[in-house]
Amino acid sequence: MNELQFQALLPFIVLAAASILVILSIAFGRSHTFIQVAGFGMMCLVVLAMWLVRDALPREIAPLLVVDGLGALFTGLIIFSVLVIGLLSFIYFEEREENPKEYYILLFLATLGSAVLTISRHFISLFIGLELLSVSLYALIAYLRTRNNAVEAGMKYLMLAALSSAFLLFGMALIYLETGSMEFTGIARGLPSSGTPILFIMGMGFLLVAIGFKLALAPFHLWAADVYQGAPSPVTVFIATVSKTGVFAVLLRFAQAVHLQQYPAAMTIVVVISVASMIVGNLLALQQQNIKRLLAYSSIAHFGYLLVAFLPGDAAGAEAGFFYLLAYSITLLSAFGVITLLSTRQEDAGDLSGYRGLFWRDPVMGAVLAVALLSLAGIPLTAGFLGKFLVLGAGIGRQLWVPVIVLVLTSVIGLYFYLRVISTLFEKMPPAPARARPLHPFFYYATYAVLILLMGLSFWLGTFPRPAIREIEALLNIRLL
Amino acid sequence: MNELAYIPALPLLGFLVLALGGRRMSQKAVAITGAGSVCAAALLTMVLCGQFFGSGAVGAAAGHASPASVHYDLQLGQWFHAGALSISFGLRVDSLSLVFMFIITFVGALIHLYSTAFMRGDRDYARFFACMNLFVCAMLILVMADNLVLLYLGWEGVGLCSYLLIGFWYDSPANCLAANKAFIITRIGDTALLIGLFLLFKELATLDIAAILRQSPGHFRLGSPVITLIALLFLAGGMGKSAQLPLQTWLPDAMAGPSPVSALIHAATMVTAGVYLIARMHVLFQLSPLAMTVTAITGALTLLVAACSAMVQTDIKRILAYSTISQIGYMFLALGVGAYGAAIFHFFTHAFFKALLFLAAGAVIESLHHEHNIFRMGGLKDKLPVVYWTFLAGAASLAALPLVSAGFYSKEQILWYAWRAANGGTALWLAALAGAVITAFYSTRLLLVVFWGEAKTSVSSRPGRLITIPLIILAFLSLTAGFVEWPHNLLPVHLFSGFLQSVLPAPATRSGGETIGQLLAVMATLAGIGVGYQLYHRQPEIGIITRWQQRPLAAAIRNFLFGGWGFDRLYDTLFVRPLVSITRLNRADIFDQLYVAVVRAARTGHRLLSASQNGSLRWYAVGVLMGILFILTLLL
Repeated sequence: MNELQFQALLPFIVLAAASILVILSIAFGRSHTFIQVAGFGMMCLVVLAMWLVRDALPREIAPLLVVDGLGALFTGLIIFSVLVIGLLSFIYFEEREENPKEYYILLFLATLGSAVLTISRHFISLFIGLELLSVSLYALIAYLRTRNNAVEAGMKYLMLAALSSAFLLFGMALIYLETGSMEFTGIARGLPSSGTPILFIMGMGFLLVAIGFKLALAPFHLWAADVYQGAPSPVTVFIATVSKTGVFAVLLRFAQAVHLQQYPAAMTIVVVISVASMIVGNLLALQQQNIKRLLAYSSIAHFGYLLVAFLPGDAAGAEAGFFYLLAYSITLLSAFGVITLLSTRQEDAGDLSGYRGLFWRDPVMGAVLAVALLSLAGIPLTAGFLGKFLVLGAGIGRQLWVPVIVLVLTSVIGLYFYLRVISTLFEKMPPAPARARPLHPFFYYATYAVLILLMGLSFWLGTFPRPAIREIEALLNIRLL
Repeated sequence: MNELAYIPALPLLGFLVLALGGRRMSQKAVAITGAGSVCAAALLTMVLCGQFFGSGAVGAAAGHASPASVHYDLQLGQWFHAGALSISFGLRVDSLSLVFMFIITFVGALIHLYSTAFMRGDRDYARFFACMNLFVCAMLILVMADNLVLLYLGWEGVGLCSYLLIGFWYDSPANCLAANKAFIITRIGDTALLIGLFLLFKELATLDIAAILRQSPGHFRLGSPVITLIALLFLAGGMGKSAQLPLQTWLPDAMAGPSPVSALIHAATMVTAGVYLIARMHVLFQLSPLAMTVTAITGALTLLVAACSAMVQTDIKRILAYSTISQIGYMFLALGVGAYGAAIFHFFTHAFFKALLFLAAGAVIESLHHEHNIFRMGGLKDKLPVVYWTFLAGAASLAALPLVSAGFYSKEQILWYAWRAANGGTALWLAALAGAVITAFYSTRLLLVVFWGEAKTSVSSRPGRLITIPLIILAFLSLTAGFVEWPHNLLPVHLFSGFLQSVLPAPATRSGGETIGQLLAVMATLAGIGVGYQLYHRQPEIGIITRWQQRPLAAAIRNFLFGGWGFDRLYDTLFVRPLVSITRLNRADIFDQLYVAVVRAARTGHRLLSASQNGSLRWYAVGVLMGILFILTLLL
C-alpha cells in the first residue's frame, strides 16, 4: 500500500481506531460522558480526514477496495447519521443501562462495517463489511438484555441474517462459477458478451435475496417490524439509516460495475421486489398503532421507492437515489430523535396514544415530528418531496411506467397513515403534568438543538436543493474509469 | 398629475389600517380613519375638478375648435405581462370619469360621515368602515382605469364589497342569503362581461380603453355580428351590476344591508357601474344598432316593471330599491337612444336624491325601533322635521317636480331624447312617460304614508347632527343640481353636456315638439302626484284602496306586483329546482364510490398482510424461502 492509498483510507482507519479508543477508555474506567465526547471527537476526526483526502480521490486499493466519489458520498452520509445517533444514544442509555459503554464499541464497529461496504469492489470485502455490520447489530439489537422483546428481536435478526448470509455466499459462489472472478470489474469482464449467463443471473437472484433482506424489501421484510420495535430506539434508527445506506451503496456499485441493467431477467426481479415493497409497506402501515412498527413498514415502502431510482442505472438515477437516501435519513433521524426523547426508563415511546396532543405539550418536538412525517409523505417544501420528485423524474426518464405508477398510487395510501399520526399530534388534550427536569440538561438540549437543525435541513433541502444536488453530482463523477 | 393616484389610494390605506388594526382601535379612531380617508379623497377630487376646469377643458368643450378630449394619464407600473398582452396599473381621468369620481367621493364622504353616527355602537364598527373604504377604492379604480382589465378588477372589487356589506349582519341567515343572491346573480353579468373582454381582445389585441375606442370604428363593420355580440355581452355585464331586467331580482333583497350601504352602493354608485361601462364603451354600442335597441328596450321595460312593483311595496327600503331599478332603467333607456350625456346627467342627479332618500329612510327606521313597514309609520312630519323636509326634497326630485327639483331636468331630458332622438321612438317615449306617472305616484304615496297622517309608532330617538347635516347638503343638491343643464327651449345653460361633450357625443335629434313634450312630462308628474294624493291622503274619506283590497283580481295583481312580477319564482322553477334535483340525483356521488372502493381494498390488503406479521420466526424464514422460490420461478 503506497502513501496515497493510505491517505485515501485514512477516514476508515480513524473510524476503526474509534472502536479501539473506546475499548481502551473502558479499560481505564472512563465515564460515559468521556466516551461520548471522545466518540464525538473521533467522528469529527473522520470528517476532517475525509476533508483532507478529498483531493486524493479516486484511489484504488487493489483488489478489495476503491475510494471514490460514490464511496465518499455514502460514507459521509453514514458518518453524519452516526454523529446524530451517538448523541441520541447518550440520554437513552445513560438513563436505562448501568453499563452503556460497550455499546459504543459495537456502534462504531457496525459503522465501520457499513463504511467498508460503500468502498468495496470485491465479494470478500463486501462479505467482511456485511458481517462486521451484522454481527455488531445482533448485539446492538439485544443490548438492553433485560427487555424480553429486545432479546427476541436480536435472536430473530440473527437467525434470519444468517439465512440470508448463506444465500449471499451461495450467490457469490454461483457468480464466481460463471465468471471466475470475485472482483466486480473482473466479473464484468468474465461475463459473456452475448446471451444470458444463466448461472450469473441465478447468483444475482440469490444475491438480491440477501440485499433485499438487509434493506427489508418485500418479501424479505417480515423481520423489520419486530426488530424495529424491539431494538433500542437509537439502534433502530441505525438499522434504518446507516446499515441500509451501506448496503444500498454496494448494490449500486455492483450494478454499475456489471451493468446489471442490461439483463432483463435481473431487472424484472428488482421491479417485482420494488413494486411489492411499495404495496406491502404502505398497506401494512395503514392502521398500525405503534409508531416504531409504523416507521418500519414505512421504511419498507421507502426502499421500494428507492429501487425505482436504482432501476434506470444511469447518473440521474444514482443522483436521485442518493438524494432520496439523504432526505430519508434526515427525516428518520429526527423522527427517532423525538421517539428517543419521549421514551421512558421502562419502555420506548412506541404506542401512538402517547403522542396524543404532543404538539400542545411540547411544540418543538411536535413540530419536528410533524415535519418529519410530512417529509416521509413527500409533501412539498420538505426534503422528502424533492427526493420523491427526483426519483419519479429518474423513473419517468427511462419510461419505467409500472413502478412509477405504483409509486404514485401507494404514496397516496401512505399519506393516510402519516396524516393520521400528525392529526394525533394536534389533538386537544387536558394539560399534562409538568415534566420532570431533564437529568442531563446539556445533552438534552443538545439533542433538542440537533432536532431543530435536522428540521431546518429538511426544509433547506426541500426549498433550495440546487447546491446539494450539484455537490452530489460532482462527487458521483469522481470515479475510476 | 401625480395626485391622481392618491384618490383611490387613500381609501385603500384606510381599508388596510382598519382591516389590520381596526379591532384594537377605539370607535373614534375608526370613524376618523374611515370617514377621513374618503373625505380627503373627496377634497382631492374637488381640487382635480378645479384644475380640470382651469385647464380649459370647458373652453374646449364649449364647442369651438377641436373636441379633442382633455384628460389626465398616470401610469403606476406594470401589473402583468403575458405574450402580447401587457396590462399596467394605468389611470386615465377625463370628464366622464370625473363626474363619477365626484359622485363617488363626495356622496361617499357624506355617507361615511352619516355612518359614523348611524353605525355607532355596532359590534363590527371597524369592519363596516373597512369594507366601505375598500368599496370606495374599488369603485374609483373602476371609473379611473385606463384599461378594461383594471376596470374589471374594480368591477369585481365592488361586487365583493357589495357582498360583504349586504351580509354585514351575518347573524341572520336571511341576510346571508340576500348577499349570496346578489353575488351570484351579478356573477352572471360579470361572466358575460369577461367573455366580452376576451372576444374584444381576440379582435383588437388590446384592452386599453383609449385604443379600443380609437380602433373599433375602423376594425368593425357597422352592425357586424361580432361587434353586436361583444356589445350585447357588455350590456349583459351592465345588466347584472345595474339590476336591469332580467337580472334585477337581487337588488330588492340587497336591502338587507345597513342603510348607508344601500345609499352608497345600491343607489348612488355601484349599481350605476353598468351605466358607466356602456357610456365608456359607447363607441362599441354605436357600431351595433341592434345592441342599442336592446339597451333601450331593456331600460324601458325595466323602468316600467320596477316602477309597478314600487307602487305596492310596504317596506320603505324595498320601495326605494325598486325605484332605483326603475331610475337606472331610465339611464339605460337614455343610453339606448344614444343620449349618453342625458344618462350621465340622470346618474348625477339620481345619486344625490336617491342617496338622500335612503339616508333619510335609514334615519326614520332607526328612530322607529327598526320598523320597515311604511303603514306602521305615519305622522312623522312634526316629530322629525329635518328628516321630513329633506325627504320631501328627495321625493320631489324623484317625482321630477317641475323646475324646482333636479330630477325634473334630468328626466325631462331623457324623455325628450327617447322621443325625438334618432334611435328613439314613440313607444319608448310612452313607456318613459308612463314610468314618470308611476314614479310620481309612488313617491307621493311614500311621502304621505310615512310622514303625514296619524302616528302609529312612537319615535324613540332623534337623529343627531352628523346624520342631519349630510341630509341637508344632499337635499340642497337634490333641488339645485339640475340647474347646470336646462332644456333647450328654456334657458341656454348647458354646462353639463358641454362638460361631457369631449367624451360623449350628443345624439342626433329630430326637431320639433319640445314644448309639447315638456308639457306632457309636467302633466304626467302632476297626474301621478294628484292620484297619490287622492288615494292616500284622502283615503279615509273615499276608501278606494280598501274596496280594491277586497276584490280578488285586484288583490292578485297587487300580489303579483308585490312579488316583483314573479321573477324569483320563475328563476326558481327554471334554474334552481332543476339544478337542485340534479344534485340530489347524485347525492351518493358516483365517483365517491370509486374512492370508497380504494379505501376498502386498502383496508382488506392491510388485514391480510397483517396476518403475515405473526411474530413467529419459523414463519418468517418460510417467508424468505418463498421469496427465493418466487425469484427462481421468475428466472426459469
